[in-house]
Amino acid sequence: MKTYRKITPEGTRDLLFEECQARRTVERALAEVFSSHGFKEVVTPGLEFYDVFDPESSGISQEEMYKLTDRRGRLIVVRPDATLPIARLTATRLQNLPKPVRLYYTQPVYRSNPNLTGRSDESVQTGIELIGAGGRRADLEALVTAVEALRACLPGFRLEIGHAGFFRALAGQLPVNESQREDIRRFIEAKNYPALDALLDTLGGGPAVAAMRRLPRLFGGEEVLEEARSLCVGEQTVGILAYLQDLYETLGSLGFGDSVMLDLGLVQRNDYYTGVVFSAYMEDYGDAVLLGGRYDHLLGLFGAPMPAVGFAVQVDALARRLLSLQKVSAPPAPEVLVHSCEGFEKEGFAELSSLRAQGHRCEHSVFDTREEALVYARARGVREVLFVGAQVERVLLERGGTL
Amino acid sequence: MKPLRIALTKGRLEKDTVALLEKIGYDCSAIREKGRRLILPVGNHEFEAVLAKAADVVTYVEHGVCDLGVVGKDTILENGNSFYEILDLGFGRCRFALAGPKGKPFYGGYSIRTIASKYPNVARAFFEGKGMDVQVIKIEGSVELAPLLGLADAIVDLVETGATLRENGLEVIETVCPISARLIANTASLKLRKREIEALAARMEQAKGDGI
Repeated sequence: MKTYRKITPEGTRDLLFEECQARRTVERALAEVFSSHGFKEVVTPGLEFYDVFDPESSGISQEEMYKLTDRRGRLIVVRPDATLPIARLTATRLQNLPKPVRLYYTQPVYRSNPNLTGRSDESVQTGIELIGAGGRRADLEALVTAVEALRACLPGFRLEIGHAGFFRALAGQLPVNESQREDIRRFIEAKNYPALDALLDTLGGGPAVAAMRRLPRLFGGEEVLEEARSLCVGEQTVGILAYLQDLYETLGSLGFGDSVMLDLGLVQRNDYYTGVVFSAYMEDYGDAVLLGGRYDHLLGLFGAPMPAVGFAVQVDALARRLLSLQKVSAPPAPEVLVHSCEGFEKEGFAELSSLRAQGHRCEHSVFDTREEALVYARARGVREVLFVGAQVERVLLERGGTL
Repeated sequence: MKPLRIALTKGRLEKDTVALLEKIGYDCSAIREKGRRLILPVGNHEFEAVLAKAADVVTYVEHGVCDLGVVGKDTILENGNSFYEILDLGFGRCRFALAGPKGKPFYGGYSIRTIASKYPNVARAFFEGKGMDVQVIKIEGSVELAPLLGLADAIVDLVETGATLRENGLEVIETVCPISARLIANTASLKLRKREIEALAARMEQAKGDGI
């Protein structure tokens, strides 16, 4: 019978040495930023009931979730998203805490991707949720935390800001039904200009149609707002543009101007997000490394209506970037190998303790003979071997290759 | 900064794209005389062209190892899209169609239809849209054979002139959708290199309007 004992499932991988180092570096840097902003860490279970992630409200399709059943036949999923469990836990267990609640997490999420596309089914995300606060200051807090978090890891990213309400307001001015609206949204998300044009051509003229036509192209710097203002009619859209301009300028005044852009065509998960939405990109990674926004309806689904804003960072993407920039390297070989001679184990351990107390990385030899210890030290690239007996004998080795 | 990298679908779309690029003033001699090389400089090294099979163009662009790609809408429909589809290049025109034996009604009756296709996802999505439950069989080669041999009731395939269908006693039952070549862009690339990519797309759009 064929067994799969020697391989890991598609979309998963082992992480070795410097890869672990890179992941931990990113996790630590981000956790440091989050906790210095007053966010407290939570861990949610890896397994949750399917109902928590109901595709209708989560926007996560059924096909993407890893599912199993519990002993009573109830449908369980392997956590496909970090925010919904946090909404569940806030709504059910943190009702009595003073608001807003500031939470952060670092945990893997699991999505089943189509075969052989090279995407990871398991990816670590870390992020924050600021729950129980609406309005400009809360949005700004989330945005500033996002920029500072990315800055703590890597230079050279772009954060773009949009607003879920902008598309909704524009779509509201068009003579379209639900399914046409969703088509328009999809075409804008894919920046599929030809298909969008074809659909809008059937709706006749008018300023809303013209504005919608330009929407996927409305990304970039401040000029975007100017163009959008010239296209838009209606109190709601104008209000949103003023709001985005305020956020954009405030971030600029904080010295983040170089990293921040606008994209009015950010329409992902438009039923999930209710206000400001943002995502970040960096060079040499083909997808967003950070996604976030305001989701004021979500907590209500768990019975505790509250405004909320948050974002998630793709830890693996940042870690890979750190590695390719050679900002982290494999942990080096130990500096010292201590070999306790027969009958001198106690002295050997004492020597190790004192070396470690001085901050040296050292290994205790597990070999029976001096020769084996030396062969190992050479192969491992250890420079110094201490033989601890009646006296301590020090042997220095040429630098060899590391394993 | 690195040159923009554009993946071209080998074959006819490649030739049409080269013609379009030359028309807007880029020197494509490296592509015309490529030999066995797979990554080729375009113009004065303004960008690099990569030659690949259609589905691979989508893969390379999705992963961001190529910033742009030229690929048929048929490939996009079959392979999904987590990239931006920014321009209809206007060449490589044909259509997806449902076709079956001439004179034999396809709709009607209650038995489940069997559909043969090289594009199972397109076929499935088309019938899902109609609320019809069909069985789809993937065929790699000449799909027209399947209904002739009695394996399938109809096929979903690319149709250009319809000559092959006619010669085999088949006819188009319904058009699924029109197809043409598209310029696609990686999500992050478009955000990070907006000016370059938009400028190129605008020039291509203008040139295509004038006819190749």
